Amino acid sequence: MKFRNYLKDKILYIILLIVAIATIEILLIPYIMPVYIKIYVAIAIFIAFGIAFLIEYYSKKNYYQTINSRVKELQEEYLITEVLPQANFLEGKILEEIIKDIGKSMLENVNKYKYLQEDYKEYIELWIHEIKIPIATSKMIVENNKNEVTESIDEELDKIENYTEQALFYARSNAVEKDYLIRKINLKEIVNASILKNKMQLIQNKISINTNSIDKIVYTDSKWCIFILNQIIQNSIKYSKEQNKKIDIYAEEKKEKIILKVKDNGIGINQSEISRVFEKGFTGSNGRINGKKSTGIGLYLCKKLCDKLGMGLELKSKKDVGTEVELIFPVGSYNKLK
Amino acid sequence: MSKILIVEDDEKLREELKIFLEKHGYEAIILEKFDNTIKEILNKKADLVLLDINLPYMDGEYICKEVRKISNVPIMIITSRDNELDELLSINNGADQYITKPFNIQILLAKIERLLKRSENGKVNQNKIDCGEFVLDISKGIVERENKNIELTKNELKILHFLVLNKGVIVSRNDIMDYLWDSESFVDDNTLTVNMRRLRTKLEEIGLKDVIETKRGLGYILK
Repeated sequence: MKFRNYLKDKILYIILLIVAIATIEILLIPYIMPVYIKIYVAIAIFIAFGIAFLIEYYSKKNYYQTINSRVKELQEEYLITEVLPQANFLEGKILEEIIKDIGKSMLENVNKYKYLQEDYKEYIELWIHEIKIPIATSKMIVENNKNEVTESIDEELDKIENYTEQALFYARSNAVEKDYLIRKINLKEIVNASILKNKMQLIQNKISINTNSIDKIVYTDSKWCIFILNQIIQNSIKYSKEQNKKIDIYAEEKKEKIILKVKDNGIGINQSEISRVFEKGFTGSNGRINGKKSTGIGLYLCKKLCDKLGMGLELKSKKDVGTEVELIFPVGSYNKLK
Repeated sequence: MSKILIVEDDEKLREELKIFLEKHGYEAIILEKFDNTIKEILNKKADLVLLDINLPYMDGEYICKEVRKISNVPIMIITSRDNELDELLSINNGADQYITKPFNIQILLAKIERLLKRSENGKVNQNKIDCGEFVLDISKGIVERENKNIELTKNELKILHFLVLNKGVIVSRNDIMDYLWDSESFVDDNTLTVNMRRLRTKLEEIGLKDVIETKRGLGYILK
């Protein structure tokens, strides 16, 4: 707040003050007294008002400056309602009340959406638990009545299962609160479970699987990790070539980390598109090849889940040569001691 | 025959499970009312209990805890809740195994078999299978015929075991691979060909020529 701006704001008062002094001077004309007294009266009134203006200016300036600097210091600016300075003038007090009311109503509004989102997530989880029962039942019926038709239905059931799982993890990835449990687990268990999940597709597509040196201990949530690996393997299946298809899965121990690599010899990704594969909804040119339905959710979700788990996810690829995805598990020196 | 009790409130699922287990040589019984589940479970004196978590009246975790106080019967939790915390909770409540819906059927069977083997009252599957012309000893991994033995590798043993289990029926290459994969040998087409050839050579060595017949385009059959 500049003094000039303040004066501009008070222009009406100043004009009225000048009018008042002029009126007094006019009224004093009939009276015979020394001129300096007449001048003194004018100056005295002016100075008195001037001091009042100055005091008001500085207290207001001080107040607004404090608010401004606090807003800048705060990470979440809306929290200013909690640290508002005490005002010693009426406007400030009114402002304080208004801001507090606004803050309260905004917080209520934000909480409403937070609650709605939580509620929706809970509903999704519940729904997915429900839908899994008919899927399980259908799979049992297929198992008890094996023939060409039911086996074909079984494949579709697997797809349904995969999509529902994706929805579940999507809901989990957006959850505000922590929804996972980090435990000590052998990488081999995670890898084998993910391979088994895709057993039918891998066998039918004649893809060879080679696993190597995956007998290593990592710290992660195995359910989340299996989901992530499952998405990666599914991509490898989806974007495989016609002949000699294979997927190599192996682990490397580096300083403070274990890297799990999933390497395929599939169709690869265009150099220009690699940087965008983790973007939500990005399908790229591969996603639009006939028959390959890409949703642009898989890798985006993997990245998001990895971030939550404190894991790294990297992708290297060469067009027509293949793709290599790296899952990086941090291994603190603390963990190694145990 | 081992007796398996299915405690699952979804009617269709438990019926299908029952059919499935009976097909695989178990005696399966089901609970139809859930107002006194704990007592029912104890009364049925099963060799193994498949227990759902979401049950009417009482949840499975509580039932598991209460049953465990009295009985040592192996309990396998079947649930659609798929997260680490629930799994830990179930194990803490005394469950022996945990499997999530929808389950891989072969894994379900393998887990049941393992649990039954571990528990004392489980009637252990025979380790020696008499196949007429030869005897397959699974625990030793050998084939016996008229005092002649032949040792098999892990994959060969599994392939032969699978053929023996499906004696007289054509099994496709995919079926065999499927079976091998479930025990975490991820063999591909070429490896399977090699394994099959070796298995046949070995069987020939003890005079079992052409016991495994190739059905072109269909698969194999053990006569």
